[in-house]
Amino acid sequence: MAEVNVNQNVVSPKKNSNSGTGALAKLFRRNDMGVVIATALLFLIFALVTDSFFTRYNLFNISRTAGLYVFIAMGQMIVLVIGGMNLSLGGIGGLVVVAAGYTMDSMGWSPWISVPIALAVGMLAGAFNGIIIVKSKINSFIITLASLFIFTGLVTGISQGFPYTEIPKSFTLMGRGSLLGVPYTFILAIVTLLIMAYVFKFTVIGRRILATGGNLEAAQLSGIRTDRIVFLCHVLSGLFGAIAGLLWVSRMGSAQPATGSDWLIISFAVAIIGGTALTGGEASMLALFASAILLTLIKNGLIMLNVNVYFEQTFLGLIILLAVSIDRIRAMLHSSTRKFGRRDATEA
Amino acid sequence: MYRKLSKPLLLLVILMMVLAAALSACSSEEPAPPPESKPAESEAPAESKEAAQPAESEAPAEKEAAEAEEKTAEEAPTQEAAESEAPAEAAPAQSEYKLVWYASAPHPYFEEVLKGVEAFEQEYGIPVEKQIGPDWEQSSQNERVEALAAQGFTHFSIYPSDASGANGLYEELTQNGIKVVNFGASTMQPTTASFVVATDVKAAAMQATEALIQSMGGKGKIINVLEVLEDSNTVLRKEGVEEVVAKYPDVEIIQEISGMTSVEEAVEKIGNALSANINEVDGIIATGFTTSVGIAQVLSEYYDTGGDREIHAVGIDTDPTVMKAIEDGVMDGTIAQNPYGHGYLSLLALKYMADGYEPVEGVYHIDSGAAFVTKDNLDTYADDIMAVTEQIKSELTTKYLEK
Repeated sequence: MAEVNVNQNVVSPKKNSNSGTGALAKLFRRNDMGVVIATALLFLIFALVTDSFFTRYNLFNISRTAGLYVFIAMGQMIVLVIGGMNLSLGGIGGLVVVAAGYTMDSMGWSPWISVPIALAVGMLAGAFNGIIIVKSKINSFIITLASLFIFTGLVTGISQGFPYTEIPKSFTLMGRGSLLGVPYTFILAIVTLLIMAYVFKFTVIGRRILATGGNLEAAQLSGIRTDRIVFLCHVLSGLFGAIAGLLWVSRMGSAQPATGSDWLIISFAVAIIGGTALTGGEASMLALFASAILLTLIKNGLIMLNVNVYFEQTFLGLIILLAVSIDRIRAMLHSSTRKFGRRDATEA
Repeated sequence: MYRKLSKPLLLLVILMMVLAAALSACSSEEPAPPPESKPAESEAPAESKEAAQPAESEAPAEKEAAEAEEKTAEEAPTQEAAESEAPAEAAPAQSEYKLVWYASAPHPYFEEVLKGVEAFEQEYGIPVEKQIGPDWEQSSQNERVEALAAQGFTHFSIYPSDASGANGLYEELTQNGIKVVNFGASTMQPTTASFVVATDVKAAAMQATEALIQSMGGKGKIINVLEVLEDSNTVLRKEGVEEVVAKYPDVEIIQEISGMTSVEEAVEKIGNALSANINEVDGIIATGFTTSVGIAQVLSEYYDTGGDREIHAVGIDTDPTVMKAIEDGVMDGTIAQNPYGHGYLSLLALKYMADGYEPVEGVYHIDSGAAFVTKDNLDTYADDIMAVTEQIKSELTTKYLEK
């Protein structure tokens, strides 16, 4: 999965002149490798120190949760990459869950009708954000903060806090089923990441998105209709939020109106640890994927290690800090290697 | 200049119109019906909302009769109520009672409590100002309750959003002569609230643990799922579980997990704990609402995906997901609290205080009782809880209040 940034794709392609150091060294030089290495290390540590880590049930659970995190993070990544943010992502998720639950439970409709309606609700909510941001020119932080209240209010108003439990059994296939032991949710997440990596790397629209986030004015001057891009990204954010919400309903077999209440931190943590620049113009699907697994692994590992419940949050913070420091160490190693390389070349 | 401004202005006007339409719609319409699968209908002993309000399709004569009956019920308390009331000359007129019922946020539990409040209103003909706040923040509760106090309300039945933080609000209220009764959960002691009408959380946790251990045959390994450690009730629940486990030498708590504020978080953590102990766990206990729903979800999923280990589980509260899990045999049981009583009894205690009664010295906790729900008594447990409510009601002016 490609690491893409506006500097590489639009402004000035990043080409490393130090070729010939081997494929592994090339891989190591990639900006998104830090989180991948951290994830691999953590995976190894937990596998070695805990007995139950490598059980089929645990791996199934980890991969499924990571799959869900990927969609939540993509909902945030797609607006971060244009230099915006979506604080209402959890509200959109809740709204979609209620839409799906209401249509399937209260209305008794088939999932074949409910799912498109729920997806449309998610995209409409995203479009609502997008249109106001574009037309009012107000910062997305303020607009999505306001819409978070609107969506959350609608969720509680419609559901009155009650879960919808009469969800058809067939609908749980996606959330609970697997192909050769790999959860469908995880497979769907990988496929979506591959599509997004392709879009960013090889399509015009992908490059326009990155350009808009990298430098808005330059993008406008180069003829990109940035308003349309902003609107599109918010619709996509709503769509990813909707998919995450539906996957959650499918996994639970019920529609809980409180769904999405803790998505804000997950969406930012996974997206930013996963290499999405807060300033926009940069995103890596590989790092986002690794970051989703990393966060899931940490939460899973803390329970596997049976850490003291009172200090759990402290351990969580420390491991995240350690994981992100690996990326810093990698970057430092990389820059010092380059310095030595240049010196050698000069001396020669 | 004008052209530049026209678009944002137009957008602003449209937004204001949408907001006005939404506000007028919200103020005039009945809220959307909750999902049909909620347990309220089967659980609540009181008449449902629908029963209290005659359907539009009713025949006019019947409708008039029903209206007249309703009016009579509003104007005069029932004979039973009148008998248990304070002397008529001491009691204020019904319109002079200034009672408020305040819940933190929309939640299935509060819908159940509301039924008790409505039953009180109907039985005694006393209107109660019913408010449900927007969230679980103490600051939101303070703002709204203070506004109600400013409107002249004098007796408050409140679910404290924060067990410690609510005391500050209560101190201000009681300093101004306002009476407060907690329902559902207690504030930290000492408190200026006159009573708490709630389940004894430690006793409920002990009852749930006892039931779990019995279902496990008196031996095995347990995962103890706590909710949020910052809540003082969680500490009491933890103590309750541990005290019961200590009585059984063959029972061991192999893992304790906590810090779950949402069902998603609970599902993830409980799933992880189950993975970590899948080869040795025999039972799971949850003593919080969210965690009980989490257990129901995780175990349903575990068995649906081919899990074959027998894992016993007991939770608390009667969320539809938990009740469905019991019905399906996924969970062994749950502790049903008495939300109807929380509403009804807290308002009745406030009414008596408005009539001049004072709390008996040293009495603060009104244990609203609990029942253990299993697959066998799913349809009848509400009657047991109703009996407890009636018992407390008959003792209210002797055991808890005096003149």
